[in-house]
Amino acid sequence: MIKDLVLMNGYGLFVWSSFAITFLTCAVVYYKTRKTLKKYEKEFAKEINELSSEQKKVVLESSKIASKVLSSYNKTF
Amino acid sequence: MLNFFYNSNIFLWIEKLINFINSIFFVLLLAALSFAIIFSPPDYLQGDSVRIMYVHVPAAWIGMGSFTCIALLSIINFIFKIKNITLITKSIAPIGLMFTCLAIVTGAIWGQPTWGTFWAWDARITSMLILTIFYFIFIATHKLISEKDKAHKISSIVAIVGLINIPIIKYSVEWWNTLHQPASIKITGSSTIHSSMLMPLMLMFFVLILYCALIFLMKYKTEIIRIKRKSIKRL
Repeated sequence: MIKDLVLMNGYGLFVWSSFAITFLTCAVVYYKTRKTLKKYEKEFAKEINELSSEQKKVVLESSKIASKVLSSYNKTF
Repeated sequence: MLNFFYNSNIFLWIEKLINFINSIFFVLLLAALSFAIIFSPPDYLQGDSVRIMYVHVPAAWIGMGSFTCIALLSIINFIFKIKNITLITKSIAPIGLMFTCLAIVTGAIWGQPTWGTFWAWDARITSMLILTIFYFIFIATHKLISEKDKAHKISSIVAIVGLINIPIIKYSVEWWNTLHQPASIKITGSSTIHSSMLMPLMLMFFVLILYCALIFLMKYKTEIIRIKRKSIKRL
């Protein structure tokens, strides 16, 4: 049964390569997109941490995004 | 109601949606792959090579759908000048390009056992290649033109001009003699594909749409953070 599944009556190479190309590409794009997002989150959180305490307070009070990113960054590290 | 459209609220919803999609994605992917590779029957003419359809057709639909979406949003942006729309179109374009390329590559692989060639300059394939070129130009305008407003305007024009190509792709198999078969699935009228093949096809399409949503949300989130970083740097 496994042999049939792999060979697919002679079409195995075409079918499996199509699925492999599609899902490998998807996996690579997912990994790269996630990596870029994490990098931006990390840098953003670092920039907030580097602000003076007054500036930091203003930023965190005025921006939900900044406080959310900073809290998730602090959880990770 | 309008509060929902503030970037901060959108940002919080994006986080929830990403978590939700991540939690159901792999189960659905496994189900879709099982149906596509194991449970669906081989075609009476094409045999098992028909299984390539389960990745090729959704990829082509997503490639065309994404570009249509970008073009329509560009038209809305021309009229109403909504900043977020540019972020949305910028985030959709790479996904659309990826799936258009995948449709061309998997189509070429399907072409070899079915037509005896990987490539032919037939109307459907050529118009899909033109769609890829439009995607490249759209993305390149954002990358190469440093003046933001100018880049948005040019990319919008590219998208609107490229919209003409979408009906050409759709009806190319009816307007010209091509190697491609006519559409088996019709929105209006009865489809000629059997339900045992239609179900896995729709399931795979749904899974890939979820994947697109996931990538789009992550890209959109990245764009929002990028903008916020700029505003912090101004402090």
